[in-house]
Amino acid sequence: QNKTVTGKVTDETGAPVPGASIAGKVSKAAVAADANGVFKIAVAPGEKTLTVTALGYTQQEVPVSDAPVTIRLSSSSKELSEVIVVGYGTQKITKVSGAISTIKGTDIANLRPVRLEEALQGRASGVNVIQSGSPGAKPTVLIRGIPSFTGTDPVVIIDGIPQTLDDLNAINAADIESLNVLKDAATTAIYGVKGGNGVIVVTTRSGKKNQKPEITVNANYGVQEVLKTIGVLNATEYGGIINEGSVAAGGNLIFPDISKLGAGTDWQKEIFHKAPMQNYNVGARGGSEKMTYFIAAGYLGQDGIVGGGSKSNFNRINGTANIGIDLAPKLKLILNTSYVNIRSKGIRENSFNSIIGSALNFDPTVPVLNSVPNTVGKYGFSDLLRSEIFNPLTKLDNTYQTSNGNKLYGKAELQYDILKNLKLTSRFGYTNWDETGKSFIPLVFYGPLNVENTMNADGATVVTKNDLGGISSSAHNSVTEYKKSNFSFTAETFANYNFNIKKDHHFETVAGFSMAKSTYNGLTATAQDVPFNSWTFADLTAATGTNSAGVVYYRDTIINGVAQQVRDKSGDVAPNLNARNMNKDRGFRKNLSYFGRINYDYKDKYLASFTARRDGSYAFGPDNKFADFYSGSLGWIISSEDFFHSNFINYLKIRGSYGTVGNENVNPPSIQVITGGPNYDNANNNGYTFGNSFLPGSTIGSYQNLALSWEKQKQSNVGFDITFFKNKFSLTADYFQKEVSGLLFTPSVSLYLGTAKVPDANIGATKSSGVDMSLGYTDKIANKLSISTSITFTSSKNMVTGTNTDNTAVINGGNYFNGQSQTVTRFEKGQIPGYFYGYKTDGLFQSVADIAKAPKQDGAQPGDIRFVDVNGDGVINDKDKTMIGNPFPKFTMGWNLFLGYKSFDLNIFTYASVGNDVYRAYERNANYTNKFRDVLDRWTGPGSTNNARHPRYSFTDGNSNIRVSDRYVEDGSFIKLKNIQLGYTLPASVFQHAGFRQVRVYVQVKNAYTFTRYSGYDPEIAGGILDTGVDRGAYPQARTWSFGIDFKL
Amino acid sequence: CKKWVDYNPHDDYKVTDLDYLKTESDYRTMVVSTYSPIQWLNQAVPIGDIASDNAVTGGENASDVLGLQQIDDYTITTNNDYLTEIWSSAYEGINRVNYLGQFKDKNPAGLTIDFAGKDALYGETYFLRAYYYFTLVKFFGDVPLFTNKRLSITDSRSLKRSSKDDVYKQIELDLNNAIAVLPPTNAQAGRITKYAAQALLGKVLLYENKFDAAAAMLENVVNGPFTLVQNFGDIFLQSGENGPESIFEIQYSNLSPYYNWGGATRGQGNYAVQQCGIRGLNGSSPYAAGWSTNLPTLELAKAYASGDQRKDVTVLDIEVYKTAHPEFNISYQVAPYKNTGLYNQKYLPRKGETSGQPELNYLNNYRTIRYADVLLMAAEANNRATTPNDNKAQTYLNKVRRRAFNDLLHDVTLTGTALKQVIWDERRLELAMEGDRFFDLVRTGRAATIIAGFKAGKNELFPIPQKEVDISQLTQNPGY
Repeated sequence: QNKTVTGKVTDETGAPVPGASIAGKVSKAAVAADANGVFKIAVAPGEKTLTVTALGYTQQEVPVSDAPVTIRLSSSSKELSEVIVVGYGTQKITKVSGAISTIKGTDIANLRPVRLEEALQGRASGVNVIQSGSPGAKPTVLIRGIPSFTGTDPVVIIDGIPQTLDDLNAINAADIESLNVLKDAATTAIYGVKGGNGVIVVTTRSGKKNQKPEITVNANYGVQEVLKTIGVLNATEYGGIINEGSVAAGGNLIFPDISKLGAGTDWQKEIFHKAPMQNYNVGARGGSEKMTYFIAAGYLGQDGIVGGGSKSNFNRINGTANIGIDLAPKLKLILNTSYVNIRSKGIRENSFNSIIGSALNFDPTVPVLNSVPNTVGKYGFSDLLRSEIFNPLTKLDNTYQTSNGNKLYGKAELQYDILKNLKLTSRFGYTNWDETGKSFIPLVFYGPLNVENTMNADGATVVTKNDLGGISSSAHNSVTEYKKSNFSFTAETFANYNFNIKKDHHFETVAGFSMAKSTYNGLTATAQDVPFNSWTFADLTAATGTNSAGVVYYRDTIINGVAQQVRDKSGDVAPNLNARNMNKDRGFRKNLSYFGRINYDYKDKYLASFTARRDGSYAFGPDNKFADFYSGSLGWIISSEDFFHSNFINYLKIRGSYGTVGNENVNPPSIQVITGGPNYDNANNNGYTFGNSFLPGSTIGSYQNLALSWEKQKQSNVGFDITFFKNKFSLTADYFQKEVSGLLFTPSVSLYLGTAKVPDANIGATKSSGVDMSLGYTDKIANKLSISTSITFTSSKNMVTGTNTDNTAVINGGNYFNGQSQTVTRFEKGQIPGYFYGYKTDGLFQSVADIAKAPKQDGAQPGDIRFVDVNGDGVINDKDKTMIGNPFPKFTMGWNLFLGYKSFDLNIFTYASVGNDVYRAYERNANYTNKFRDVLDRWTGPGSTNNARHPRYSFTDGNSNIRVSDRYVEDGSFIKLKNIQLGYTLPASVFQHAGFRQVRVYVQVKNAYTFTRYSGYDPEIAGGILDTGVDRGAYPQARTWSFGIDFKL
Repeated sequence: CKKWVDYNPHDDYKVTDLDYLKTESDYRTMVVSTYSPIQWLNQAVPIGDIASDNAVTGGENASDVLGLQQIDDYTITTNNDYLTEIWSSAYEGINRVNYLGQFKDKNPAGLTIDFAGKDALYGETYFLRAYYYFTLVKFFGDVPLFTNKRLSITDSRSLKRSSKDDVYKQIELDLNNAIAVLPPTNAQAGRITKYAAQALLGKVLLYENKFDAAAAMLENVVNGPFTLVQNFGDIFLQSGENGPESIFEIQYSNLSPYYNWGGATRGQGNYAVQQCGIRGLNGSSPYAAGWSTNLPTLELAKAYASGDQRKDVTVLDIEVYKTAHPEFNISYQVAPYKNTGLYNQKYLPRKGETSGQPELNYLNNYRTIRYADVLLMAAEANNRATTPNDNKAQTYLNKVRRRAFNDLLHDVTLTGTALKQVIWDERRLELAMEGDRFFDLVRTGRAATIIAGFKAGKNELFPIPQKEVDISQLTQNPGY
């Protein structure tokens, strides 16, 4: 006779835990608690104990009793009972012997990130996220250092299907169940050649069987603002400095009377706006006996703080349906389908002539609005700055850049339970992205003396006339449209078989294969002559431009009585071959892989895991098509040993792993014949113009490298997990080492080979090592105050240990322009990848005698910077360039604090980055561009200052004080108060009658404050290996004040 | 299943070496590309004057166009982008020529493709290879020498520098082979002719101090179908391109949208023209604005005798011009660095002569070998020959001078060394701002006395690009 037990499952606060699983300990027969946490289970006569489990709570056992029971679950700090998603399967976290960081869906939902990476920052140890302020822009994500050069993005697996980091702009944070970061070879080797940069495993939400519908509605509205502005000169100061610079160079006073200039215009104030951000989500999940579902929709809209929403924004609409159906008792179908629409507008960023760059560098004496009679143009103009840097408002006003993308992604998966412990899974995952975009470059009047005008002061188009008065050439507006279609799929079939040998030997195995292909296609077309010079008509269909050949003019004349035609250039009309243009970009990738894994444990105490993967890539030569990757790991749960007796330590595991993973970020090289015009890869041009006829030419454009192969990474990891003091504290720590050999890198070959494109070769090597740690503490004080806090620590040391055979290959990056094209970052042997490379400074020359005594430095005058003769050869030249900074932090830390008191909850997240340098590259430094406040401390005579950041100011700079030097390097270490959220859960009584289960309101401040010594906007500057930390006027992250409300139904 | 990851370049619609050189048209198209790198040698011309007493670098400031500043100031370092570009471009040209040589008899598929005019077509490539090596040997002295094939990656680091003599030997061989097969005229303007090859060979022989051979070779061209353009200024107008005085011009054009900031000197347009322009120039003059680079020196302007029509064609004094033409309403920015007030009129940017990306796409051809140059070379060769023929030398020199002054009053009757000096002076006046001056001074051993900062024993040659020294383990030129 079965017995019926009833009861209720609640959390520590007494709130119901819907969906908690209640099972007989012996029979394993289980039911789920309903929406109110109430359950009813029939148990067999022999059953003595029920086990109660729920995600995020410590498992609890209760005796079977006749009376209704109330089971109060305590939330677990480390979710020791939790099962986490790993490659091609799941694993109980206690049995994991690799290195994994996990972020819970609730943490992500609380943060409300635009992109998911934001949630990894400081929360997942071992992951470095360097964010960008531009709405929706991809951040730099480094999992355990910078081992590679060709690509450092981790692989992203969404519900088992590979995607890329770029795709994370399309996921709604509210739909996430969990985010796991696989960090070491033991966990990533199952992804083989793609696993080298780590793997982010995203699991989206799904329903549970027999779950009543659970509906959530969230709304959030906020306002963003810039945190601070950069100190530039006001008009009077500017006039003074310009006068000084001109006179020092032997010129005249530019502003004879600076007293009239006043404060002038603060251009930064003009471009930064308070911009709204909003986010609305609705989701429902549940299930019946045979099916589960999760459906959700969301909208996120973020306007840019630079220029406001009409020019810079990011809008996303998401719709997701995750459905599981039992087609037959042993056959389950999972259909995950998501649709995303992303519309955005962009402005020119991160360069001296971007909107921000123009605001920083533009002439402050110019009034905002144009009041000069007989000139078109709404905004003021400068007569001094005649090119490159324009009134940022004019520039903004004439910026039209929009894109609209649709994405459909998901999977169809069949799971077939062949035997009780043998499951066959076959799935097809796909991502389809279609994007269209349009930009419009109108005719613009920048000022009467500006050489880049395409419109005259009277509004007419700028034309060049030939000597006969005809138009020989003319400026044109232009519209560009593009369409990108990317499609990728992965077809995988694998079997999971779990079995025990002699009761205590537990095996979990998986084996399978995978085929993948991704294709991309892009078409871009440009047309000139949009009617009325207006965005309204900016479309290829409306533009009237057609390409025209030049007209060579012949004049009729009579020579010696004979009528002849004479060539007369004065009537020539120039050709226009840009009136209509079209370009296509295409390509594909293919992979084929076989993989397998065995997880073993003995009595849940001794753990071992072995993974193998055989990967084939289309990119490599016939002999190197396939490569094998292996990894192994061991773990020992010491706390499970009989000899282990501790009241203090509740759980202790040590683990270690070793294995290989790879990287295949290259395209297959071939000896290509290129014909025709310019080849933008290496700027080679292959035609020639004989007289007036262009003939396309053909040449060998690239070399082959049959030996091209994988980039191989050897990774080792040791770590431990410990919980102590009644499971209130948990600590996980790992030390890792990565060694990359065969790093894919463009070799530097003898220049006498010519200029054909050299393919990448496996020639480099890097080494990374570091420590990741996370410490958590969860407790409940006096029954009403609950506290949960965690600290993560991430560090990595990176070194390039080789490039090509003789290590001469160097890649320069971090390009910027300050009167001269400069590069500041390098990838070079013996150095940190992407380090800042330039001159060291040693104060200023105070006198001619100083200069005479110093190593030979051409062009130096008193007041100029004294550069350091690093190699001691008595001459300051290129050979003295050296390491002047490191854009990557020595370590980063995150501190997350959650406090709950009665119905209030407070969440504070702080992120710190230490040791990252920033290179100030936004100073254009032309004679008439605005200057930055430190010029006020400039050298004005012997003894006035010896600070190399403050050399004398002059229009001429024979010493090249503006060369790449540590003058521009600043310590970018920072502590950011990233998120503060205060919430209040309304008393249930208030809303229950309206059918709401829970209503919570909150206020939130993101990027509340940044503690830093950096003088620019924001020391967090994203940009891959060679551009991180180079601040060309990067879009700063906004401070966001918001208010939100969450409903549960 | 394994085939899934096979790759054929045809999957990416890529044309490979095996798909090519199967028809006459393929051969002809590939020969066109052997011409392209002569366009990329663009900066060799401004260097030829900036390194000499003819011009200063100018630019925006001391660190603008740094490589040219160093050449001007004789603070030349081994890292000079301009020199590296010349080195790489010349070698790209050589490799392109060699590739055609490699597959002359049999194409990559092993088949023989014969067609009428194939030998003459190859003659063009021999000329070009000689031109590339001549550029290299003038700039760098001993350089790696190879003619048998296009090098591949495995040939990297395999070569050493060959002696200047061997390089000259190869240049002579190539030019003689070219002369043997090239036609005297070519329907397409800019195509290499027999005369161009003879003129270049004459020049090469002059550089080798083989005056007898040079005189004989140049005589062919002197007696060719060329005439001096009466109005000197017309040569440098668009209408004067490929004119009656033209023997070899590097062709540039604004007719193609082939320009790229990533390779400013590698398009169909002439980048050096924008460089020469007057900064911030406004008004209705025929000139367009530019970057105030390669500014003629006052000393060059003074070197012209009064009545010499070449002065105003060679240097433009902007203030004088502005005053003379109030109707143009000219305003401009004084050259901010090393201002001389003078601009290179021969290659000054003119309105309507560029299109697309205006800075990169000027149509101005380089007048690389003019008849006047040939006359002066022939004059010098005759004057310096084992048995001098000063009579001939005077005749050729005076042809040039009569055009310059439009009269017979300036004829030269000197002989011997005095005549030689006059011929040399005439070369400067005639060819100023055309990129010859520095190399003439070095060739004739006068550089150290005339050029401030020039160190004898060092500055005759530019440094081998540091990158090449590092990668290919080449020895550096002395003094660098």
